[in-house]
Amino acid sequence: MSCHIAHEQAAAASRPLTLRSRPLRVALVGQPNVGKSVVFGRLTGRYVTVSNYPGTTVAVTQGRVLVGAEVCDVIDTPGVNTLEGTVSEDERITRDVLETDRADLVVQVADARNLRRALMLTGQIATFGKPTILALNMVDEAFARGIVVDAPALEAELGIPVIEMVAVEGRGMAELRDALARAAVPHVPTAARAGATARAEWAHALTTRVRHVSTISLARIQETLAWATRTPLTGLPILAVVLYALYLFVGVFGAQTLVKLLEDGVFGRGINPASTWLVDRVIPIPIVHDFLVGEYGLVTMGVTYSIAIVLPVVATFFLMFGFLEDSGYIPRLAIFCDRIFRTMGLNGKAVLPMVLGLGCDTMATMTTRILGTPKERLIAILLLALGIPCSAQLATILGILGGISFAALATLFGVVIGQMILVGWLAARVLKGERSEFILELPPIRWPRIGNLLTKTRLRVWWYLGEAVPLFLIGTVLLFVLDRVGALVWLSAAGRPIVTGLLGLPPATAQILVMGFLRRDYGAAGLFQLAHSGQLTGVQAVVALTVMTLFVPCVANFLMMVRERGLRTGLAIIGVITPIAIFTGAGLNYVLRSLGVHF
Amino acid sequence: MDVGAQGVVVDIVPGDNVENVESGEGRSPSADRLLSLGVTPGARVTMLQRFPGIVFLCDQTELAVERGVANAVLVRPWENPS
Repeated sequence: MSCHIAHEQAAAASRPLTLRSRPLRVALVGQPNVGKSVVFGRLTGRYVTVSNYPGTTVAVTQGRVLVGAEVCDVIDTPGVNTLEGTVSEDERITRDVLETDRADLVVQVADARNLRRALMLTGQIATFGKPTILALNMVDEAFARGIVVDAPALEAELGIPVIEMVAVEGRGMAELRDALARAAVPHVPTAARAGATARAEWAHALTTRVRHVSTISLARIQETLAWATRTPLTGLPILAVVLYALYLFVGVFGAQTLVKLLEDGVFGRGINPASTWLVDRVIPIPIVHDFLVGEYGLVTMGVTYSIAIVLPVVATFFLMFGFLEDSGYIPRLAIFCDRIFRTMGLNGKAVLPMVLGLGCDTMATMTTRILGTPKERLIAILLLALGIPCSAQLATILGILGGISFAALATLFGVVIGQMILVGWLAARVLKGERSEFILELPPIRWPRIGNLLTKTRLRVWWYLGEAVPLFLIGTVLLFVLDRVGALVWLSAAGRPIVTGLLGLPPATAQILVMGFLRRDYGAAGLFQLAHSGQLTGVQAVVALTVMTLFVPCVANFLMMVRERGLRTGLAIIGVITPIAIFTGAGLNYVLRSLGVHF
Repeated sequence: MDVGAQGVVVDIVPGDNVENVESGEGRSPSADRLLSLGVTPGARVTMLQRFPGIVFLCDQTELAVERGVANAVLVRPWENPS
């Protein structure tokens, strides 16, 4: 304790108490996937999504916290491997924070295993001339792999506080807070500040002096798993098992068991009859009855769709998906996908936004920032909008087609994937620009922490409820009004040549496609009910779901595309996708019927 | 790889004790990327797998790269393996 006070006094002596007109701005900077967001959460008490792969954070998050007598604004930044030269979009965001007065002080979070790389970044951070602290995170994992860093020696060499920590357990956080007052500009030789090669040599020499590596590793199980997931002989069967588990948990347990329980049980026998009874008793006016509990009623359609059909599906999906994210498995798929992605003008790295798109295409559109070139980002955004079903759609597909036959499922995925490859291949040739070469850092395989998994799932479910339920309700009101003014009949009539003629679907599908634009999962829920009530044949279900999957993305996704790439590009993407969806559906309908397929 | 010889990452066979010898600074965007990921002169390199994609370990970082990238990383056996 006395040592602690002496520290504080020394710090106070060297740094007179300054009055600030604004809070001290502390930026958390570091390589991708070193735990910046965990440190941020520990410092501020705010949770930002934490996963085990590079590129989870692609935008800046800020939180205010009191450290001692100092009010601090802590800024979580996207991970950076470099701050100079050509940087990717997410790296530029971090560089902007360092270049401006948005950061007074830098806490460099580093993976203790990778000291050499961390120091290369320290060398670059030093050029911005801001007081810095080096937080060596995950010292426990480093230790398990036989790596020990002599922190006091490193502190002496760099002239800045070096804190050893295990952020997920909160170890080292108190020391980090205490060290804020001692932050200083790192001592980095002038030569090492100037060029990458000189800096690498300096980092290498310094690492050799302060790091000890023994050959004993306690992390053998993780290493074996890491090996097994990337080798084809074991990796492909593991992928098959993962996909099957996803199907069982989301498609069967979520979309069938839980939905049945909620839709037929809780809503079908409980809430909906009770609401109808209540409405008829309290406000026995026909239009109010229809508005609340009619065919397009707020309760019987809006709430039932969002809570009974989509919620169980997204909740089970988010849980399973979070598990995969935190295990570090997803980036390993890039090894298997690299070749096929290259034909589409992308590289294996694109597997990250594509797989994330299965959760939510809107979020995934933002994640395309991790890709190397504007051309790659555009192709990825286009393919996300075209062919990647979001969690709710995926579950609806699994729920409806899984109940029909495996062949139906295979047909849909075959057509959608084939369409993506074709469109990607064409886009790669038509669009100007270049593809970047495939270089991806693979995160270690970890056993996910249940706490983080549950927090992440809970927050995503809340986000879903906050975002989707109001839109479901608005959509229901819209449908109700359209129905009242006779526009639905008109819409069905107008859509008939395409919907009934070309696609061979029941006329009611027209309005479902409109609902699908409002929110993909809303349309998906509509189809789900249509199929449930026996209004779709096997072929119709496959065609309808294929069109829905390929069809325009939801409003939120469209707005995100406009935000990331501009209105013209957004409209152009819609302009490309809509005809593709309709013609593919028409072609599929024609082929399946000509062949007399029945599923 | 024989001592004294020089090659690229794809030449490494299991059991080789190899280090990176050259900094690709400024040569290409990929070379700069590798440098920032820690593929720096003196860094120990181990080949992990070649198919379906190349994966190598550089110091403590596992990197998946396409063949063209791995072909451009110059390596040589350690001069005095300890």
